[in-house]
Amino acid sequence: MFFKLVSRNSRRNRKENGLFFASLLVTIVAFYIILALPRQDVMLFLAKMESNAVDRLLGMIPLFFGVTLFILFFLVYFAQKYQMERRRHEFGVYLMLGMPRRKLFGMLLLEDFGGSLLALAIGVPVAVLLSELISLVTARFVGLGIIGHSFSFSPGAVLWTAVGFLLIKLAAFLILSGRVVRQEIGSLLVGMPEGMKKQLPGPVYGLALALGTVCLGSAYRMGIIGISWYRVKGMGLTLLLGVLGTMLFFFGLRAGLGVLARRGGKDRQLHVFNFRQLQESVIQRSNTLAVSSLLMLAALCFCGAGVGIAGFYQENGRHVLDYTFGEGGREDMDQIMESLKENNLDGYFSELFEIRLGRIRSTENDSPFQMETVLSALAEKKETDDRNSLIGTLEYATEPRLIALSGYNHLLTVAGYPPLELAEGEAAVYLDSETVYSPLMDQVLEERPEVMLAGRKLILTGKAQTVNFVTDRAVRLSFALILPDDMFAEFAREDSDTIYLNGVLNMERFPGESLMNAIAQINEKLDKIELNYESFLQNMGRQIFYMVAASYLTLYLAIVFLIIANTVIGVQFLMGQRKSDRRYKTLIHLGATQEVLCRSVGKQISWYFGIPTFVAIVSSIFGVRALFTGLLPARVSGSVGGMMGVSAAMILILVVIEWIYIAAVRRSSRRYLLTLMVPEREE
Amino acid sequence: MDPILKIDSLKKYYGKPGSQTKALDGITFQVMPGEFLGIMGSSGSGKSTLLNCIATVTRPDAGTMTMGHRQVQKLKGASLAKYRGQEIGYLFQNFELLDNLTGEENILLPLSIHNVPEAEGRKRLEQLAGYLEITDVYDKFPAQMSGGQRQRVGAARALILNPKIVLADEPTGALDSRSAKALMEKLAGLNRERQATILMVTHDSNAASYCGRILFIQDGRIFHELRRNLPEESRQAFYQRILKVTAQLGGGSENVL
Repeated sequence: MFFKLVSRNSRRNRKENGLFFASLLVTIVAFYIILALPRQDVMLFLAKMESNAVDRLLGMIPLFFGVTLFILFFLVYFAQKYQMERRRHEFGVYLMLGMPRRKLFGMLLLEDFGGSLLALAIGVPVAVLLSELISLVTARFVGLGIIGHSFSFSPGAVLWTAVGFLLIKLAAFLILSGRVVRQEIGSLLVGMPEGMKKQLPGPVYGLALALGTVCLGSAYRMGIIGISWYRVKGMGLTLLLGVLGTMLFFFGLRAGLGVLARRGGKDRQLHVFNFRQLQESVIQRSNTLAVSSLLMLAALCFCGAGVGIAGFYQENGRHVLDYTFGEGGREDMDQIMESLKENNLDGYFSELFEIRLGRIRSTENDSPFQMETVLSALAEKKETDDRNSLIGTLEYATEPRLIALSGYNHLLTVAGYPPLELAEGEAAVYLDSETVYSPLMDQVLEERPEVMLAGRKLILTGKAQTVNFVTDRAVRLSFALILPDDMFAEFAREDSDTIYLNGVLNMERFPGESLMNAIAQINEKLDKIELNYESFLQNMGRQIFYMVAASYLTLYLAIVFLIIANTVIGVQFLMGQRKSDRRYKTLIHLGATQEVLCRSVGKQISWYFGIPTFVAIVSSIFGVRALFTGLLPARVSGSVGGMMGVSAAMILILVVIEWIYIAAVRRSSRRYLLTLMVPEREE
Repeated sequence: MDPILKIDSLKKYYGKPGSQTKALDGITFQVMPGEFLGIMGSSGSGKSTLLNCIATVTRPDAGTMTMGHRQVQKLKGASLAKYRGQEIGYLFQNFELLDNLTGEENILLPLSIHNVPEAEGRKRLEQLAGYLEITDVYDKFPAQMSGGQRQRVGAARALILNPKIVLADEPTGALDSRSAKALMEKLAGLNRERQATILMVTHDSNAASYCGRILFIQDGRIFHELRRNLPEESRQAFYQRILKVTAQLGGGSENVL
């Protein structure tokens, strides 16, 4: 009989409180995904290339797991609290009927354990599938199709997921059930009225609302103009203002809702009631709402940062060259070419071409290269960090390297760009894509400025060039001049040539193979003949690592935060609804139909979710912009359009997620209202 | 004159055959326009079930309830909602004011539920509030009002849509004797001066003495009926007659309240 009761109760709990069960599943999925990270394709691949960095990242997983455990504990605690609250009366009846407290505790424990096992039974397969999917998607996203897939099931991860999940579940259970089981029967039976909070005079709330808005506004401003990023103090102040602003805003919101209840739309059905209900929720729980809104904001910012960083590295890692041999002089290159031919390796390449770099012939001048015109044109531009750092770099570029046009044009063709056309006396500018490039330079170059090279006038033209000229990312030139070959011969010191031999694999020679395998095969052959080379994989490994590590962890946190915020809001709303059941009964007595009540509650839910979401969205528009200002180099932050695109996409995703939650909570609340509609006998 | 409400052979049984409770066992009576009718009976006599049936909270097993030309027990959907909101007004024992709404908002709540423009109810609100002496609690929340004020706000809410009949369920049950007296005087006044039709369930003989007619219910049937001889019979005298009948209820003095 006891076990029958337990199993019937568990089944009813799941049915009545789907939101809680869903949040348990989410918890399990989150645990597994973080724990199974080492088995993801991308990580397996990176471990070969960048074992140190990967080891360091994977070493952080226990810490990350611990943090997730801690965060998700609150989620489980909240959802379970709601569950316990709604069953208070039932517990009171059990005790009244003579069930010993120990037995009640045991019953709850069994119910809880059964529910946990079921959640694990459903959650783990879902998690494994999802993790597999993430593995495939990330592999495709970062690897440009270079990675072969292997099944990523990890028994260790399953074990730790189960252990972690049961642990937080037990902790939440012990705290909550301990509290409930110890209570007086009377207070369990009567139900707990929500204590009225002490009210301050109205203007206080208006003031809080205004002050909160001001704090938020200053935080936005500091973030965007960049003050936050100069020093830790600035960042701390921005965060403090932001958090304080949000808290004050939600604290003062009751004034706004009160005004809305008293004014406007009074003739709309149950308008006053809806807003008074909302106002009460905000009064009771302004801090939780503020925290939920901040969590949503954090999720949006993490998401924005993750997408931004991933996009940055992906763009950066545009793959043009598979190999670079060298560096060396003419003789070295001939030797390399010869040994490639000797070993029949040249046939594996569809392109093999040289990039020639040189130093300026020495002249009597102290600085063989002068570009005052460029510097003064830049100085006239509006002062920004971007401009200052560009000027800073260019001021020291008094002896730039020279690049021969023919080789560079070959590179452009391979990369799919049109070749540069330079007339006699013209030169193009090469800038490092990650550290130096700014759209400002293009604006200056449009004016075709005149500069002096070794005492001769030269016109800079075209757009600034940024295509990496070797595979190795460690080889960089912050500023260089691209000269037509005859001018290169004229200006470059004869003995100063540095030549790189670049190669692009001919994939037709590797039918059905992925690029990774093709490169791995060639690497093996090259290692045998002891050639000095750098391949795309080694370099990309590093890039992909940063990209994956940053985007994976940020997106993961974003999802976890979002889920917590929404579950907390949803559960709180349902708890509040349950506590105002008498009010709904009165409305029914006064002639409100089920449709009228459902519409009213639907409106309340939309507002209840809408307010924190809206605040988070507004903050995120500024927050993401601020993040881009602070984290990404000028090259990326210049494209405001792209940035807004990222923001818009994220907001859209957030809206979709909110919509799903709203629908779920509406369903749940409608079911509850239905139970109120059933007339009861009152004698 | 046609009756406002006709109850005919109303039955409501609870439980399975064999162990049935006959909460209502074929009750028949009529309520005339402008009447102040009291229903009295001990606990379990069926008076609350009767009120619940009329308020459409409980569905009767047999019999008819007719208001105007409509069978109340057959109402569904929009017409049911209209009946609950606009044809009857309900006065609760425990006031059932929404504690997060001000007095004014509570009174206007039925308008909001039934999509009646506020302007239409405004004039009536002022009349009612003036008569019931609750204009000073317009902006107060229920927690800031006295019990008597709360019940008078409840009365204003029950009357705001000008219902054909007010159903009062033990309206003095949660009030002290002074507040109860004040409330009953107001209800009787509304009945006398504004021809409000009131059906009140109570087991408070004092409150019942304000009625014009009283039906006594026992075991689901009408057991006795008392009519106050107006204008010659004083309330005090009527009260004495009520006490006598309540003493007989259940056939002994143990049921006298």
